[in-house]
Amino acid sequence: MIEVKNVEKKYGRKRVLKGLSFTAEKGEITCLIGINGVGKTTIMKAIMALTPINSGEILIDGKKIRKESFEKVTFIPDTITMLPQMKICDAFSFMADFYKNWDPQRAEELLQFFKLDPTERIANLSKGNMAKVNMILGLALNVDYLLMDEPFSGIDIFSREQIAEVFTSHLIEDRGVIITTHEISDIEHLIDRAVLIDNGEVLKEFSVEEVREKEGKSVVDVMREVYRG
Amino acid sequence: MTVKFNNRDPVYVQVIRHFKEQIAKGYFEPGQEIPSRRELANQLKINPNTAQRAYKEMEEQGLIFTEGNMPSCITKDEAVLKSVREELIIEAVDLFLGSIKSIDVPLSEVLELVKKKHDAESGEAEESK
Amino acid sequence: MKNYLKLLNFEVNRFFKLYLTLIGLIIVSQFIGAIVVSKGYMNVTDQVINKNQLSVSQYIKEYGLFSFEQFVGSEWFVLPILFSIAMLMIYVFFIWYRDWFGKNTFIYRLLMLPTERITIYFAKLTTIMLLVLGLVTLQILLIPIEIKIVTSIIPTDFRSDFSSSHFDSLEMLVWLYPNAFIEFILIYGVGLILVAVLFTAILIERSYGLKGIFFAIVYGMLSFGVFIAPILLNVFSNDYFYALEIFLMLLVMSIIVLGSAIWIANHLLKYKIRV
Repeated sequence: MIEVKNVEKKYGRKRVLKGLSFTAEKGEITCLIGINGVGKTTIMKAIMALTPINSGEILIDGKKIRKESFEKVTFIPDTITMLPQMKICDAFSFMADFYKNWDPQRAEELLQFFKLDPTERIANLSKGNMAKVNMILGLALNVDYLLMDEPFSGIDIFSREQIAEVFTSHLIEDRGVIITTHEISDIEHLIDRAVLIDNGEVLKEFSVEEVREKEGKSVVDVMREVYRG
Repeated sequence: MTVKFNNRDPVYVQVIRHFKEQIAKGYFEPGQEIPSRRELANQLKINPNTAQRAYKEMEEQGLIFTEGNMPSCITKDEAVLKSVREELIIEAVDLFLGSIKSIDVPLSEVLELVKKKHDAESGEAEESK
Repeated sequence: MKNYLKLLNFEVNRFFKLYLTLIGLIIVSQFIGAIVVSKGYMNVTDQVINKNQLSVSQYIKEYGLFSFEQFVGSEWFVLPILFSIAMLMIYVFFIWYRDWFGKNTFIYRLLMLPTERITIYFAKLTTIMLLVLGLVTLQILLIPIEIKIVTSIIPTDFRSDFSSSHFDSLEMLVWLYPNAFIEFILIYGVGLILVAVLFTAILIERSYGLKGIFFAIVYGMLSFGVFIAPILLNVFSNDYFYALEIFLMLLVMSIIVLGSAIWIANHLLKYKIRV
């Protein structure tokens, strides 16, 4: 499980994260929900040690992040993490070279599923296709935890459907996934837990099915309550 | 299989309901093999955990059974199947009664209308065969 | 160790095309220059001799011999070197900034590799040093060829001795490839420390943003100050120290400066860096 404990972060004078805490379990899809700019991406970067925190603790399976952690957790940001002049196959070779957990067969499968051409240069890809390649770079790694930042934003609906399919497949099963989004209604039925964030804090953290069962509310309903109240 | 899910009822409950409907309508035969949890999740576009939960509940309710490592199947137990049909019919009846309650009409008249409509539709169905 | 080599290979490859261009530029410019300067000299010489009806020895008495320095001091020789130096100096910065800017967010990937992040630093540092070494080696290899070119155009009578040992005294080149191994170590050692300090300064800027530039400059100046402290000490104490003692102190200071550059870089990469 990934534990974020009381994380504080400032940009200059501004407190961006104010004692933020939540957990994400392996085998569950946890969704961080909040408006743009509330700090969802910052949290993800902080988990991956891609941005510093002022205080608090982030533990992955009980340990602070180390170099071995990167074979256990991976991050799929909303920008491509490879050189633009690389061809897709070059990017895959790079991953195979450095990561023991890279699964070339799975990468190949996903390439075909997304109907991408491995000889295409990354810089020449459309936004949707670039997002898909980015996904493959994360999904073809046999990691326990996947962090995805706005996997559905800014891409066409068909690409989105393809990506959503990935969530319901064996590629995600048994892994711990944290995704962020500001468009929750599309994917409500896919997630296990929701973490509502506002103003640098967690307002509510809950199991989506439980709330549906006990209170008959959708995530959007809860959001309305919490953000208005 | 495409099912439209609403976001207010637990998804696993909606999945179970969907199965019950399919059984009542006869689309699922007794003893018929059903997709694995993973396959179901993929087909319905839901979280695999949800599919898992649905199957667990359905096992407990006796709607499906799993023998060893074989794929799960719809129950062959007539009693269960019958109660499923009944359950759905009673639901429909409750819904119906709820709708017409506010309309001030004697029951006999309502039942007349129901019969007329039903016969007309089965008549059409007969003709189109 | 393996990851270091992989990253090193990767970094060198990234610059390789540009590197080949620089090499090509140097070769072409210097070879053409060798020909042009030599021919030019011969043309002038022929003209003057014919015009004034001089004999060879008369001409030489009047105008002097052709020395290799005339070629080495020409733009043909010098400009590509200066250009390459400029390119490499720019690359000292660009090798880091290229991974942050433009459509390029490769820094994410570098920082998420299952390796100690300082490996990235070492790989980039080694890359720069190798690139420099490569160009220096190239120049050493080119000189004999250029000598051959010049000697094939200018007859023996007109030129001064071009043997290799002659070049030790060439001011232009002596700091490029010193003949003693110790000198080599010293000069490249200082170069290495300089690049290491620059790299750490870059990382300071990348970790702290605008105020980072300020810290980076302060850090740079501090490093420089620490490094030359022995020399200053000597000056202010009126040459109290022996040369060897100054040298040893400088060595210690170098180790301190290099060590702290690496330590700070490691700390920043692990705990303070921002993408």
